[in-house]
Amino acid sequence: ILWVSLHEQIRTFIQMRTNLKVVDNSGAKRVMCIQSLRGKKGARLGDMIIGSVKEAQPRGKVKKGDVVYGVVVRAAMKKGRSDGSEVQFDDNAIVIVNNKGELIGTRVFGPVPHELRKKKHLKILALAEHIV
Amino acid sequence: MQSLLRNVCRAGNRGAAARLLEFAAPVATQPPSSAIKHLRPCGFTPPTGLDQFLCVQNRFISRDGVPASSGFCAKVLMTRGLSTVGTAEVAEDEDDSSSPAVEHPPRIKFKRPDKTARHIMNILNKEAVEKVRTEREIPDVQPGCIIQMRLQVPENKRRESTLKGIVIARRNAGINTTFRLRRLVAGVGVESVFPLYSPNIKEMKILDRKKVRRAKLYYLRDRMNALKK
Repeated sequence: ILWVSLHEQIRTFIQMRTNLKVVDNSGAKRVMCIQSLRGKKGARLGDMIIGSVKEAQPRGKVKKGDVVYGVVVRAAMKKGRSDGSEVQFDDNAIVIVNNKGELIGTRVFGPVPHELRKKKHLKILALAEHIV
Repeated sequence: MQSLLRNVCRAGNRGAAARLLEFAAPVATQPPSSAIKHLRPCGFTPPTGLDQFLCVQNRFISRDGVPASSGFCAKVLMTRGLSTVGTAEVAEDEDDSSSPAVEHPPRIKFKRPDKTARHIMNILNKEAVEKVRTEREIPDVQPGCIIQMRLQVPENKRRESTLKGIVIARRNAGINTTFRLRRLVAGVGVESVFPLYSPNIKEMKILDRKKVRRAKLYYLRDRMNALKK
């Protein structure tokens, strides 16, 4: 979170050491990003990252300390759309995937943007509660 | 000397040019034809009036002998030269001012390109805004309004999504006037920036207008009210 002036809060990319929330039922609760698979500066909305699970639920598909792939479904950094609008969320959140892009969990919580359609993450869109 | 001539070209103002030439004339020892050749290729193409003016200047400067007297002659001859230039430039000026279809009765005689371009951009902006306003009725969204709008997004499969939220910022920039909408979607706060005159916005309705003492309500990010955000 950067502050350019007193009013504008500029959020930046998701990079190494970024803590993200996990919004599916794969068992993990918090993941720390260790690598962004796209972009030199970091991952944005809809990109894949590699993360290390920092906090997990007791009985889940992933355990604490696992290295997992994830797709960013909510980013605090604004993402521009082709019609001139921009969208930004209040937090950073990912959904845990395997390295092919298939979901590990079976449910997705919270809103997801429709940028995922272009990135071909249709399963996430299908399971989502609300598409922004 | 060349730079002085260039300044004369650019200033174009009668008084300034007179003063500059007064200084230029005593300095004019080199053949000014070279100066004029140097001036021609520069992007600022002088109108034909200015060419005449430069020729006049050329003529009288080359005839110069003594710098001191030439200063006085320069002023007299140059004002004569400038009068022809003045009419020529006014003619060209009218050509330019008629294209944006706006009359400026007591207009400055000498055209300044940068001023004119900005002026034209302003006019274009206003025209575009007027065009959109006549097609769609766009309410006056101010920070603090609670807005309900229908948005049609072609990249989303199903169109006509309805959004409801509070306007927390508005940025005025002609046709690119944008406003920032904050809403609670499925328990998560989402902020979106929309261009006010976007054709994707099908309908906008103001539900409520809250009294706020600020133009940008970014403090609302920390205060997550349970109700409308």
